[in-house]
Amino acid sequence: MVATAPQTAVRKRRRRPARESDTPTVGRSRGGTVLANTVGVLFAIVMFFPVYWVINTAFKPAPEILQFEPTFFPHTFTLDNFKSAFNAPFFQQDLLNGVLVTSGAVLGALLVGFLAALAIARFRFYGRKAIILVVLSVQMVPFVAILIPLFLMLQKADLTNSLLGITLVYIVLILPYTVWTLRGFIQAIPRELDEAALIDGASRFQVFWKIILPLTGPGLVATSVYGFIQAWNEFIIINTLNDQAHQNLMAWLLQNQTSRGTFWGPLMAGSILTALPVVIFFLIVQRNIATGLTAGAVKG
Amino acid sequence: MNQRSPLTPYLISFRRNSVKRRIAVAATLAATLIGAAACGSNSDSSDTPNAAASVNGAGKTIKVWLMVDAQSGWPEVVKQANDRFTQATGAQVQVDYQQWTDHLAKLDTTLAGSDVPDVVELGNTEMPKYVFNGAFAPLDKGQFENSAEWLTGLSAPCELDGKTYCVPYYAGARVLIYRTDLFDKAGLKAPKTYDDLVAAAKTLKEKNGSDKQFSAFYMPGKYWYAAMAWVHGNGGTIAKKDGDKWVGTLSEPGAQQGLTKWAEIAKTYSSGDPTKDENDQDAVYAQGKSGMIYGNGWELGAVQEQPKDPNDPASAKVKTKVNGKVATAPLPGIPSFLGGSDVAVTAKSKNADLAAKWAQIFTDAKSQEGLIAKGVLPNATSLLDKAAAVKGNEATAQAAKETWFVPMAPKWSDVESANVLQNMLVSIATGKATVPDAAKAADAKINEILNAS
Amino acid sequence: MSVVDTPSAPPAPQPPAPAPAGRTGSKRRSATSGGFAPLALTLPALLLLAGLLGYPLIRMIVLSFQSLGLRQLFADLAPDNVGFANYAKIFTNSTFYEVVARTVAFTVVSVLLTLVLGLGVALLMRRVAPSVRIAMIIAMMFVWAVPQLVATQTFRWLVDSDFGVLNYLIDRLPGVDFANHSWFADPIQGWAVITTIVVWAGIPFIAITLNAGLTQVPKELLEAAVVDGASAWQVLRSVTLPILKPLLVIVTTLSVIWNFGLFTQVYVVRNGRPEDEYQVLATWAYSTAFKNNNYGLGSAIAVVTVLLLLGVMAFYMRQMFKIGDVD
Repeated sequence: MVATAPQTAVRKRRRRPARESDTPTVGRSRGGTVLANTVGVLFAIVMFFPVYWVINTAFKPAPEILQFEPTFFPHTFTLDNFKSAFNAPFFQQDLLNGVLVTSGAVLGALLVGFLAALAIARFRFYGRKAIILVVLSVQMVPFVAILIPLFLMLQKADLTNSLLGITLVYIVLILPYTVWTLRGFIQAIPRELDEAALIDGASRFQVFWKIILPLTGPGLVATSVYGFIQAWNEFIIINTLNDQAHQNLMAWLLQNQTSRGTFWGPLMAGSILTALPVVIFFLIVQRNIATGLTAGAVKG
Repeated sequence: MNQRSPLTPYLISFRRNSVKRRIAVAATLAATLIGAAACGSNSDSSDTPNAAASVNGAGKTIKVWLMVDAQSGWPEVVKQANDRFTQATGAQVQVDYQQWTDHLAKLDTTLAGSDVPDVVELGNTEMPKYVFNGAFAPLDKGQFENSAEWLTGLSAPCELDGKTYCVPYYAGARVLIYRTDLFDKAGLKAPKTYDDLVAAAKTLKEKNGSDKQFSAFYMPGKYWYAAMAWVHGNGGTIAKKDGDKWVGTLSEPGAQQGLTKWAEIAKTYSSGDPTKDENDQDAVYAQGKSGMIYGNGWELGAVQEQPKDPNDPASAKVKTKVNGKVATAPLPGIPSFLGGSDVAVTAKSKNADLAAKWAQIFTDAKSQEGLIAKGVLPNATSLLDKAAAVKGNEATAQAAKETWFVPMAPKWSDVESANVLQNMLVSIATGKATVPDAAKAADAKINEILNAS
Repeated sequence: MSVVDTPSAPPAPQPPAPAPAGRTGSKRRSATSGGFAPLALTLPALLLLAGLLGYPLIRMIVLSFQSLGLRQLFADLAPDNVGFANYAKIFTNSTFYEVVARTVAFTVVSVLLTLVLGLGVALLMRRVAPSVRIAMIIAMMFVWAVPQLVATQTFRWLVDSDFGVLNYLIDRLPGVDFANHSWFADPIQGWAVITTIVVWAGIPFIAITLNAGLTQVPKELLEAAVVDGASAWQVLRSVTLPILKPLLVIVTTLSVIWNFGLFTQVYVVRNGRPEDEYQVLATWAYSTAFKNNNYGLGSAIAVVTVLLLLGVMAFYMRQMFKIGDVD
């Protein structure tokens, strides 16, 4: 999994006929290259160090974590922190909640979002522009800002401390993004394909089922993974609306900041367990992010 | 959920019914009479939950919110109370443990809804705000054991307009924890006066000062329970009521003197982070680089050994560097803050009678004995001597006799959650403001918050 | 907004589809043939957005003119209308101006730093050996993927005054005493830490995006510039940057919107109780509402926050409409 990122990078490079010589040689010198490489390596180390420190801490026994002179690799290697996190109150419950809520939100957003994306991408109708405006603008609204009324509203409907309530909120959280991305994917399918099929006597539904849906497959995967990451990482709303029995793992992590100090070991181990699915998914789709993000803007 | 035979609790309660019913009838009568008198002023006040009511709780489950301390410190006490409760009523108990850091926000959101916990534990300083805002149901004080001897610091926050809205659960007092080995080496004894204390800190600093991480007296900058103890020890207070207005009094001479003395400890004798709170002071102290700390009775154990798995208090203990080298003593001249907790029945509880019954069992003498054995202080003065007899508890029980408490203003907890005192202390400890300036600014904020409409 | 994690970057706009004149007719035909279908298709999405975003937004505005506290909340009482009292309280409070200034200052500094460093890294990536580039990409991918909360907890641990590795490392330097150094006693240092968290987490998005953008810069153009005797700086300024401009505008706007709504980093690093000198708009609104139970005042702060952001948001939208194919 982890190798996906570099591989794509390597592949991209290898496609070129020659390696270095063809890159523009602006102010290039041997000394400059050595300097650049050194800075590059240093940069990679500095960037990665915090991640390393999480891993390092997670595998240390408690007394080795809490000492004035930190050790740079675990002198005693232990899995205790992972056991502690996994068996801690609400961890397993919150893990399950997270999976349920996240998948519910992704499926819901995909279903609703795909329909809307289809309409925006394939039809011109009165109010289309307004809808795009709404979709674009709502993802700019700071969610913390509407936390207060959201809480009051859901509490009136008895949807606080419930998985259903938070799933609905998360659908809305990832919906604008889903609509916007899927719209791009659908638009990328040549309209001529639709038209040819229609001329051949296919119904609109068949066009959708036989042409658009299969061709947007990769897009659906990428979109759902982004949605997953977004819903999985959310903790402010769920921490405010729900009690521990109805939270996710992100909110669970906060429980390690206690009035008897922070439980760093279980917190770091729990962080790894919590972040792992995100990292894996992220590395799978990172290529889509980089290419999808830039393909248009630069050429345009 | 309930795996027991639905008949079992019914049979149990059936067997006891004859006696219980008679008591229940009497109690209901009494409650109606008292209730009728008390309710006159408040038209929509529902019935006072009756702990003595004979309720067949079979198939019911009450939801209880306790703070983590019970989970990590005395799970047995909770269990025996639950067992006795289930035996008496047939109802089950579901206990949810809350973290101090965010439990109030959680409580607010939950109490606003309709699916509420039946019993809630709150810190005694947090209680007035909720009592004042109608979160809890009034209780019949007489139904709770030792209610005549409740510690005032615990029971005063429960009172409003002559009614009782919560029940004292346990108390804690803070004491001096010091390193016996360092004291011996420096030829020092446990301080008898405040001057002794400062002198001891000075000696320790001289002997060990070459280590820049050494604190003669580790004092985190945000530790307001400590700083306010110094204030009260020097004749000061935080705020007082003047007519119908509250006035912050930290600028008055006594309080200033206390703050100045506290700042001497925090700035001169502590090398710790002036912006930290006291949450991890045990971990810092366990490194063996501090001479003294000011802590709760139970922290004596926490600095010496820590559970291998912090999430499982029952896991094996790991000895720290200071194991066997520490002792407690009352801090001379400094009255302890009487911390602690109360339990209350929520106004929206659908099982209020059962909830009151649980609160009754959970705070009765038998439960209190279990708490005393765990090194915390009981809820009643009549039990304090028993507590003093428990080894390691002597200093705390002693300290509990001379205590102070926060101003009994309905909005007091807003002062806490707005960090007014912490911010003042940090600015003093970091040297950003002088004591008079910091105190003046804090007074202004306290006035604003306590008198806000 | 901090709730919206970095990976959720909305896809950048695609170029305006070059519409050949001949096809306009067919486009219009398929467009009109939809009938009620498009509305029916968008209805579920619109309903959800209206219910869980639109309504709360309106409610937030209403609430900002009301006084709502615990008493009303617990007893299910209606909030009292107080007119502009909440706004008056905000605008007459010097704290408000401090918080706004702090939020703006943080946004400017953090966005500039992220952009400059991100661009620097993107340029660097084109100069280093492939193996180094791979190392850089791996490191950045991990950083990008780390959830915001986890990243913040990590930094809290790194800079812990007693047990943190940062103090330990700095303390090793000869003549420096950083033992038990508090990073949050001095707000400038504290904000340096918070900014570092944000910039550290923000660099990968910018660097990788811009690096991908740089691959699109025609190398003939660069070579021509070099042949003409342009310095590296001139090439960057006159060739590379203009080509990257549309991309830069979008990532800048997004970064501004995200960083202006800074919440998680402050909230977690300051243990859920930020001191006065660490309050920004989002944390201030949250503390006012959920810690001090003044929901009306909190809503008013939130409304002001959104209003302040509106300009940036409008600009972003205009850009999306301008370069996107949002015809």
